[in-house]
Amino acid sequence: MKKIDALNFYELLEVASDASPFEVHHAYKEMFQLYHEDSLASYSFFSREEREEILAKLNEAYSILMDEKKRSQYDQLLIERGVLDEERQYQRERKKLSLLPQPKRPGADTALRIRDRLKTMVSSNAVIQEILSHEALSGGDLKKIRDELGVSLEEIAETVKVRMVYLRAIEEDRFEKTPSRIFLKGFVRAYAQYIGLDADMVASRYLKRMDN
Amino acid sequence: MPHIWPIGGGKGGTGKSFFTGNIGILLAKQGFKTLLIDADLGGPNLHTIVGLSNPAISLSDFLNKKVSTLQETILEMPVHNLFLISGAKNKLDIANLAHEQKMKTLRAISRLAYDYILLDLGTGTSFNTIDFFTLSDSGIFVCIPEPTSIENIYRLVRSVYVRKIRQVLKAERFRSLAEKAEAQNEDIIIHHPEYLLDILKEMDPEEGSNIERILKAFHFKLVLNQVRRQDNPKIGALICRIVEKHLGMRIQFLGNVSFDDRVHEAVCRRESFVEKYSYSQAALDLRLVLKGVTGILDEQAVAL
Repeated sequence: MKKIDALNFYELLEVASDASPFEVHHAYKEMFQLYHEDSLASYSFFSREEREEILAKLNEAYSILMDEKKRSQYDQLLIERGVLDEERQYQRERKKLSLLPQPKRPGADTALRIRDRLKTMVSSNAVIQEILSHEALSGGDLKKIRDELGVSLEEIAETVKVRMVYLRAIEEDRFEKTPSRIFLKGFVRAYAQYIGLDADMVASRYLKRMDN
Repeated sequence: MPHIWPIGGGKGGTGKSFFTGNIGILLAKQGFKTLLIDADLGGPNLHTIVGLSNPAISLSDFLNKKVSTLQETILEMPVHNLFLISGAKNKLDIANLAHEQKMKTLRAISRLAYDYILLDLGTGTSFNTIDFFTLSDSGIFVCIPEPTSIENIYRLVRSVYVRKIRQVLKAERFRSLAEKAEAQNEDIIIHHPEYLLDILKEMDPEEGSNIERILKAFHFKLVLNQVRRQDNPKIGALICRIVEKHLGMRIQFLGNVSFDDRVHEAVCRRESFVEKYSYSQAALDLRLVLKGVTGILDEQAVAL
């Protein structure tokens, strides 16, 4: 075991010589916990002078390793002394710039693709087109469209975050089960949008039928 | 060969006897033949922890040659597989054992045929306590998260360190080493026993590395007892880090045992805690600690 004063900054903080500033910062915080004046863990283990000496060295290590320029100078010193391998030096990674747009989150991406696929199905399906030609839309109509598309109610509930009870109540026209009109409108819109329909148009026709 | 676990902690009231007694009961219940020895010669009370108020025979009967073998002082406990050598009837001056007697006792202990032998050690850092501690490499320190206890733990660890060097070097050579060390710094032996090794290595490199190897063979364990909710749960691990970093001795943190008022209640009623409150957090912690120690032993066995 080496005594404290024989340790280099990396050994002192117990980090690898290519540790990132993030790692150095955390190692320092941990070491500080061990050695600070009121540390219960090292109570009575060191004399006051020893503690001050260790803390001073820790602070020096921290201030040098956290400063990019000072750190590379210090590394150079260690390399000359043969303590540090040149390849084991920390290299700051520059963020790669690209002219191409970065892909969106996979979740959002899939939801969009599903809607596009359903939209084309809606426009090419004769049964759905026939239902959509009516001036008013019932819950049963919505269910028929949904069945034609092969979308489950669970799937809609999961994605648009509307409870199954409400979705079912909408399809069964059981208005006593649905929440207030303003919420109902929102739910119908979300439902319609998910299965690739014109949300505003569907909501207004559904509410029109309900009002009658 | 039995596994011998000396259990010490420097300071009184940290729960050494509580820990020894309850871990003993847990081991016995797992089917291991377990012997508890109350080696707290000055203030024995392990028998009370395991629910025996008036032991008929004790360690002192062996020391005073009333009985000829240590086996005769062994008491069978109500818990199956659990045995006890009590210290209850020790004479009051027995805390200062003669070297001869101590050696005889230590030899007798290591010859007993048990799976586990748990030694409940006294407070302080007298030679008695330290020598019992160096009987095995797997000493367990019981500490509580208070400065007074932590201070004593460090003192105990350092005493074991110096004592071991002394045991290997024998008195005379140790004295010359100590003199040389003290010439450099007056209180080096108390505060920096780790420098003894450096000085020794300079004097006699071969002996130095021999002792370094012996010191490295120690595989201490630390348990933090009476940990309250507001205490920093990481203290134990930090203590181990200090010891490993600055003394170069291996010490492993086994875990925290929660503070529980019912321990007091169980002791007052002279009932064993882990049996009476087997689903309390503290009992659960004890079981985890035990699992930790036996796990380490398995690892060591594989490594050998």
